[in-house]
Amino acid sequence: MQDYFSYMEQLFDPSKVNEKPEVLKGIRVLDFTHVIFGPTASRVLANYGAEVIKLELPFYGDLWRPATYWGRYWKHSNPIWHFVTQNKYFVSVDLKRAEAKDLIYRLAEVSDIVLENFAPGTAEAWGVGYSKISEVNPEIIYLSCSTYGQYGPMRYFPGWDLLAQAASGVLSLNGFDGTDKYFKLPDYLGDFVPGNLGALVLLMALYYKNETGKGQYLDLSQTDSMMRVLPHFTFQSLTGESLGRTGHTDPSMMAASMFKTKDEKFLGLACATKKHFEGLCKAMGKEELLSDARFSDYMEALKPENAADLRKIVADWISSMDCDEIVNLAQEKGFAAAEVMDDKQICYDQWRRERGSVILFKDEMYGELALAGPSARLSKTPGRTKWLARPLGYHNRFILKKILGLSEQDLNDLQKKKVIGTYDDKPGLKPPIYYDLDKDAIFNYGRGVVK
Amino acid sequence: MSMFKRKSKERVYTRYSTAGGGVSRWKETVEKLMTPEGRPEVLKDVLILDASSANFSGIIAASLFAEFGAEVIKIEPAEGDPCRKMTPFGTHVNGTGIPFIMEGRNKKYMTLDLENSPDDREIFAKLAQKASVVIETYPAGLMDSWGIGYRQLSVQNPGLIYIAVTAYGQYTEKAKNFVNFPDTDITTQTGSGLSAQIGDLPTEPEPYNWPLKAGMWMGWYISGISAALGGMMAIIHRRKTGEGQIIDIAGMDAYSSMTGFPATIGFTWEKSRPRIGVLDFILYPYGHWKCKDGLVAIAAPRDHDFRALLKILGRWDLEDDFKYTPDRIPDIIDMAMELHREIEKETMKYTADELTAKALTYAMKAAKSKWRGGGVPIVMRVMSPENTMQNKQWEIRKSFKKIEDERIGKFMITSGFVKMTESPPQVKWVAVEIGKDNEYVKSKYL
Repeated sequence: MQDYFSYMEQLFDPSKVNEKPEVLKGIRVLDFTHVIFGPTASRVLANYGAEVIKLELPFYGDLWRPATYWGRYWKHSNPIWHFVTQNKYFVSVDLKRAEAKDLIYRLAEVSDIVLENFAPGTAEAWGVGYSKISEVNPEIIYLSCSTYGQYGPMRYFPGWDLLAQAASGVLSLNGFDGTDKYFKLPDYLGDFVPGNLGALVLLMALYYKNETGKGQYLDLSQTDSMMRVLPHFTFQSLTGESLGRTGHTDPSMMAASMFKTKDEKFLGLACATKKHFEGLCKAMGKEELLSDARFSDYMEALKPENAADLRKIVADWISSMDCDEIVNLAQEKGFAAAEVMDDKQICYDQWRRERGSVILFKDEMYGELALAGPSARLSKTPGRTKWLARPLGYHNRFILKKILGLSEQDLNDLQKKKVIGTYDDKPGLKPPIYYDLDKDAIFNYGRGVVK
Repeated sequence: MSMFKRKSKERVYTRYSTAGGGVSRWKETVEKLMTPEGRPEVLKDVLILDASSANFSGIIAASLFAEFGAEVIKIEPAEGDPCRKMTPFGTHVNGTGIPFIMEGRNKKYMTLDLENSPDDREIFAKLAQKASVVIETYPAGLMDSWGIGYRQLSVQNPGLIYIAVTAYGQYTEKAKNFVNFPDTDITTQTGSGLSAQIGDLPTEPEPYNWPLKAGMWMGWYISGISAALGGMMAIIHRRKTGEGQIIDIAGMDAYSSMTGFPATIGFTWEKSRPRIGVLDFILYPYGHWKCKDGLVAIAAPRDHDFRALLKILGRWDLEDDFKYTPDRIPDIIDMAMELHREIEKETMKYTADELTAKALTYAMKAAKSKWRGGGVPIVMRVMSPENTMQNKQWEIRKSFKKIEDERIGKFMITSGFVKMTESPPQVKWVAVEIGKDNEYVKSKYL
């Protein structure tokens, strides 16, 4: 029999990804969302072949376009926006104008999914909510993303990822017990986690539509989503006690904590089973701990006083060892210990490059950029990156001509009336300075420009 | 419905709303969202075998499928999945830990000793012939060596979707060399880039300036959600073509692949971001501050939101120095902390409720004003999970469900994280008893 890993290498071969079928090919998504929450849901669909038409306001665009880390742009674009908007079609229409609404309704008629993340009530008030869109297309799947949901007393309360973290209890759980400091989850996880759940529930609705022919309306709140990952409610209602903040530790697993190594690196370590604990004891050369009454039963060892004793023993050992030594022992003896990886380590990690977890994508407009690969690797219908973000309104011609059959004259008229538009000079909205859009076949779709 | 009667008094903080308007189709839609009980289930014909062991990612993925109606059978040896024992401070109910109870949604339980019993492996293989999805978290290749891996099961059942979760995946040299390396939540947090970004400033005393652990299983939940998402893609492909596939989840991808930030910033900036404590590196003010009676979260990141916040706090003097976003997110931490401290001076003068009321009153006025630059400064009390459970919003949205189980007792569980008009997810029951459904599974599938 062929060696397991070479068999798997064949099934997942990153160089073959682009030859494989796309599971959502033919699914058209009309995407009103902005910033991270909604765009993440549609980005996942776009990775798997859906045709995502991203609608933005002319000359302003998505709020996230100019919002980059410490204000640093890359080729006049927001470098971290490329990941969130890969594979999308960028159409810029002023949806408050009657002519724009007409375009939107015509697109909605031939779409499978619509999603929005305006403040609740806004889409309905503007005539692009589910009430109107489902009149135009009764089989539509329509997802509204918001912080607190579309109904309930807090529905009009404004929100962001941060507020979802605050309202769900998540923000109150990071830090050290007995201190007055709390830490939010970094990098807008209160958007990314709900965004991925958004993609999941859209797939559920799509599957249901395939089975029954019925579309539906979905109301996804990012606070609800963050609440889903907390066992704290169940803990509190069963024990009457609050779990509180647990600092560097994971109170649910043996020896689980952050530790500092001799070479001043940080690592996380945990024993998920008694067997892993045996491995740790062997690595430490402290097999006598296996018969220690404090640690002989897994749940007994998690009691606060026993857990503290064990962490102290492990911390002493780790402080006498280099990080690599411990990680290698972990693999050898079978317990979990992994270094704290930062941005550069992740970007240049050989394993991630080989696996396709970090890809060096070559884009026609922007050149090379490192991007994260998809969260799940599928052997037959893998997700993939096809292009990066594009300037505001880049696909106006392509989409409006191809799908709605508009002529160049129609487009010019719409542009003159400011129903559709493109970018002004703001970074994040415009193309890189070296790039000549006049020679771009997609931007000039139907104008006889050939690549 | 009561919420519609109250609507005329409802406070609207946004410019556009459906409040008071007669959008009749919208009312119908909301009424459907509010009554999820007894509606059709998306995955009612989908059989899922969850053989995950000592790894919650698999259990979480299985739970998400189960909430949408899949028949999920948890496979474990007679002594139970080690996950049953992973529980905060060892707290348990009759030997089962809290996280396992919480993810025991709509599950069935069968005992099979895959690790030691060739007979049980055969039973598993038979079951897998009828299954749509198998989930497992053993070291890569172990199930294969037992004759029940993807390679063997997919011969009998070409439509099988096989989800495998490990630390480093099913292929590459590293995956092979680190095959015995277990996947746990904390190592997923450290190894995939989350820990590097959370924790106090480098200038704080040890150990407070170390990378912090997120106070929940953020790594495992991301892997679990990714597994379910990949699985759903595969289920749709299977329905179209009859073809199954294998899905490979690596815990070490969790955070970096979900946010994309580490890979791209490492590349374009050629540096690694430091930990910046309570600050933010893109939006500001965007964080939390102490107030008279606790902690408030404040988001006023756009320039007009910031101006509004300064008006509310009576600190227009700061406007000149911090006018634009780049002024408020300097990469020199001392400079960024200056504004943070100035804001805290003001928030300390008020209670959380007072500040929230000020911000909402402002937002309401700005929403009605014709002048478009009003801004929406947002202030909210930072809630503990106990506060969250008492919030009327979640009661009305049925986001918690009270469960009464004769073995476990009475408890609350989050339920219905998304509301859907036709086929919403539901928690029908919570069960954890080992081997509870042995007979049922045998008579139905074997």
